[in-house]
Amino acid sequence: MRSRLALIALIAVAAWLLPYGLDSYAIHVVNVILIFAILATGLGLAMGIAGQVNLAQVAFFGVGAYVTAILTTRAGLGFWVSALLAVAATVAIGLVVGTPALRVQSHYLGIVTLGLALAFTNWVTNAEITGGAEGISAIPVPVLPGVDLSSEYLYYYLELIVLALALGFGLFVVRTGLGRRMRAMRDDSLAAGSLGAEVPLLRMTAFLLASVYGGVGGVLYAGLIRYVAPESFGIANMFLLLAMVIIGGRQSLIGCVVGAVSLALVREALVDHPTIAQVAYGTVVVLVVVFAPTGLAGLPARARVLRQRRRGRQGAAPRLGPFTPYEPTAAPPDQATTMLRVAEVTMRFRGLKALDRVSLTVDRGEIRGVVGPNGSGKTTLFNVISGLYRPTGGRVEFRGRDMTGSTPYRLARAGMSRTFQNLRLFGDLTVEENVLVALDRSRTLSSWRYLLGPVGILRRDRELHRQARAVLDRYGLADFAGLPPKSLPYGIQRRVEIARAVAAAPSLLLLDEPAAGLNGEEVRQLSDIVRAIRDSGVTVIVIEHNMGLVMSLCERITVLAGGRVIAEGEPAQVARTPAVIEAYLGDSMSSDDLPSVPEVTR
Amino acid sequence: MQVFLQTIVGGVSLGAVYALVALGFSLVYRTMGLVNFAHGNVVTVGAYLASTFYLSTKLPFALAMVIAIALTGAIGLVIERVLRPLENRDFDLMLIGTIGFGIVLDALIIMIWGATGRAVPSPVPSAPLDLFGLRIRTYDLVVLAIAAVATVLLVLFLSRTKRGAAMQAVAMDHEAATAVGIHVGHSNAVAFMIGGGLAALAGGLVGPLLYVSPALGGALGIKGFAAAILGGFGSIPGAIVGGLAIGILDSFTAGHFQGYSELVTFLVFTVIIMVRPTGVFGERTVNRA
Amino acid sequence: MTAVSEPTTTTAPELTVEGLSVHYGGVCAVRDLSFSVPAGEAIGVIGANGAGKTSTLKAVMGLVPRRVAALRFGDTDLSRVPARMMVRHGIGYVPEGRHVFAGLSVEKNLMLGAYARKWNAPTRATMAEVYELFPVLGEMRGRLAGALSGGQQQMLAIGRALMSRPRLLLLDEPSMGLSPKLVEDILAVLVRLRAEGLSLLLVEQNAKLTFEATSSCLVVENGEVAMTGTSAQLRHDPQVRRIYLGL
Repeated sequence: MRSRLALIALIAVAAWLLPYGLDSYAIHVVNVILIFAILATGLGLAMGIAGQVNLAQVAFFGVGAYVTAILTTRAGLGFWVSALLAVAATVAIGLVVGTPALRVQSHYLGIVTLGLALAFTNWVTNAEITGGAEGISAIPVPVLPGVDLSSEYLYYYLELIVLALALGFGLFVVRTGLGRRMRAMRDDSLAAGSLGAEVPLLRMTAFLLASVYGGVGGVLYAGLIRYVAPESFGIANMFLLLAMVIIGGRQSLIGCVVGAVSLALVREALVDHPTIAQVAYGTVVVLVVVFAPTGLAGLPARARVLRQRRRGRQGAAPRLGPFTPYEPTAAPPDQATTMLRVAEVTMRFRGLKALDRVSLTVDRGEIRGVVGPNGSGKTTLFNVISGLYRPTGGRVEFRGRDMTGSTPYRLARAGMSRTFQNLRLFGDLTVEENVLVALDRSRTLSSWRYLLGPVGILRRDRELHRQARAVLDRYGLADFAGLPPKSLPYGIQRRVEIARAVAAAPSLLLLDEPAAGLNGEEVRQLSDIVRAIRDSGVTVIVIEHNMGLVMSLCERITVLAGGRVIAEGEPAQVARTPAVIEAYLGDSMSSDDLPSVPEVTR
Repeated sequence: MQVFLQTIVGGVSLGAVYALVALGFSLVYRTMGLVNFAHGNVVTVGAYLASTFYLSTKLPFALAMVIAIALTGAIGLVIERVLRPLENRDFDLMLIGTIGFGIVLDALIIMIWGATGRAVPSPVPSAPLDLFGLRIRTYDLVVLAIAAVATVLLVLFLSRTKRGAAMQAVAMDHEAATAVGIHVGHSNAVAFMIGGGLAALAGGLVGPLLYVSPALGGALGIKGFAAAILGGFGSIPGAIVGGLAIGILDSFTAGHFQGYSELVTFLVFTVIIMVRPTGVFGERTVNRA
Repeated sequence: MTAVSEPTTTTAPELTVEGLSVHYGGVCAVRDLSFSVPAGEAIGVIGANGAGKTSTLKAVMGLVPRRVAALRFGDTDLSRVPARMMVRHGIGYVPEGRHVFAGLSVEKNLMLGAYARKWNAPTRATMAEVYELFPVLGEMRGRLAGALSGGQQQMLAIGRALMSRPRLLLLDEPSMGLSPKLVEDILAVLVRLRAEGLSLLLVEQNAKLTFEATSSCLVVENGEVAMTGTSAQLRHDPQVRRIYLGL
């Protein structure tokens, strides 16, 4: 911690002293580099942190610069008023550019944003108000009392402060709730949604942030160069910006800044051979993508791993601790209310009936098992209940309210939580952050607090960290808090996912094959955990193939086969139903030779 | 009415070129699920290669085209080979990888041919035909015919040959394709190679229609992609219909909005994606948990 | 391409697997598994979901990264043979969940099954045999595979694997999602294939189908062999039922 503070202080002092060693051309170059660094930070937030492919960052930059230019030269407004309006205009454009992200992702989003960026260039080259291909010159010098900003040396300090603020704010967002939810959405938008992250709003927030940074960069550019023309905002610069972010490491804002600075320096060194520079950085982008996807920012971590491997593992290996049961809720709910009612739900996929008029009712405080052979529609049922699929027919009522076809994040906020058959942990977040995403219930709309009440945000985040530690302690996962989940053994990953789902404080918990891939001891622990969760007042529905677990754990079982409910009732009774035996074992032998005492095997 | 029809006729030949670009996108997407962002740049390379052989070395236009197609096919092979480690793993990274290739190709174009463009004279210099009062350039007909032949050949290749069937099989299920003995890497390489060849075909044909410049591929690539999406990504008839539609849209916006035609085209395209992301002929895909 | 067109010997070689392990990331799905499929025999692998059955089969095919002490098919060492070459050594694979080429016709699917062979008269003859085995595929030959019912797709997947004239057929849960009647049909086909001298390695959750189609079985649990025995023995073993139904 202290060494990090010292490093920051050192960089600050070096940055402050830098102009003293530079001639007037060099300071100009540095000023341009700083603007690229701001733009790259914004692009990093959208692409690296939130996973939204944004190839319109250069257009945001252009909107900021052009609006400043137009308002100062054509409307005669002051520079700073124009600057504010320019950033506002950029945000408006940013939100428009971001709307396709609500419908499409990845490649499609890339091409749409690129198309809109080209549309922008097309507009400024042709419109009269933007001065056509000539652009707008004679933008007035921004006035700051006591500081002559026409000196590029002094302008440097203005930019430096803005960059420091922009980077600081970006890091603040990334390390607290909003950024965590965005990173979770990037790693797995389905899982993030089912933990209550408002995916559509978060995607728009990503574009909003990117456009603010773009707009600020544009304003600074207009004030620095005092001349704008279309070619500064073309595709070539977009790809240069993208290369900066990729080479620097898109998932780290500091990496983006480092990438921007180093690539801009290389470009400057090759200023007489721009095409050679372009071939070089294009090649580097390809190589980075194939060999070092985390970019420059990922190198320290890679080196650390290599060093550790060479030395061999040292110190105590992290260990899974025991699970501490919850305090049982004092009084069980006196009236048996219905938690979930699924009525006549049908789900068709292109003619295939995955669910055929399935009905079931789960009471508060129950542990319900849903079993059935492979392909019988169990997971489809969960996906309908948790809002991932909108059923073709039928109703889903949750806590007495009709929630058919509601979005996963609304259901999650209404108190539903789930795990996934194939584990959907956020791979690039730590175990603790995985839990934090679930714990944090702040709304994306209240993110204005990041500007107006950063202290409150920090305080709340500290409180969340405390709660997350408590959750990890309870589940015996404290040793793994700082590790990425992918590095952990399967059984522990399963437990992390359950801890994460329960951290969301659900009233209904859906577990999709929680015992798959666990060994006998782990299954026994799982059974204890699930029972303790129920005793703390949570209703649980379990899909499971391990019949031993189902038999010992569940009060009632619903059996699906071929998308229909073929039996429902108490475990022992259901297991003797000929239809169930046939569906499972493929025969309908009498149940005489079945042992009668349910027990956990495996 | 006359003006209306004339506008359509004017858009059809460019539309055919867009369709060829869209086919290149679609073919690679069909086999690998990947959008090749360098495709537009390969089109530019193709346009330059064809025009260079045609103008400088005085080769017949057709021969110049064939050489250009062979060379861009090779470029396709290189792109696939370099990005192969990412196949079936991380599509966002592959996307950025193809953008990287685009950046490199863009610079190479300027290095080799310079930043200024060149005009390519039409290889069929006869006067325009007059059909019921509509003026139709003969070269437009040549473009249409070649595009039609190329499409038919592509469809025949996919439906009638063993390699074509295997390519489609890889697209549908690469594991099952491996199990029946198909080399997935080779199959993808062939897809990229044909995609590159189609790019040169489009680029070579568009040379006499537009001005050949380093910026050619950017607009052509995005419009070709728009055409592919409009028709439904990965669908061959979709690419044709989408290409012609964008060409005609282009022609109308050029008439009505002059310089702003690109702006309008891209806005229309964005709205279409918002309304129906799967295009006209596309299939709906299901998000699985 | 060295196509092994027709089996030269009438008896199929024996498949030997020793010390097979599969890891996904840090996760161990199959641990040190050993078994063999003698020539002309049918061996079953049964167990609950997540026990490692599918991983075992994929690992034998080389479709997932694996570690194996020995993997031989007769005299051929398969441990270094890439997945796409397995079919050329006489091993056919029917993937779990059918995985037919949905956008291609039934006939194209079958022809692709013979991808490693020349598309000539003997291949056409094999196709006629497949149509004889599954008459419904013949009726549907022009239909897109994705438009077939689940049972028909399963038949197509088996037919596709047979098109390579394999000497050993690996089947991954052919009964999945099928009605009991269709499971009976699949069973009849497996019994017939076995009678024709084809070796089978059948991975299944449906114990009844497996016991009837095979001569002996492995019961796997957590990626390890829990029990082995002849199908007749295992069929009435209460231990199997316990592992299975948890009773």
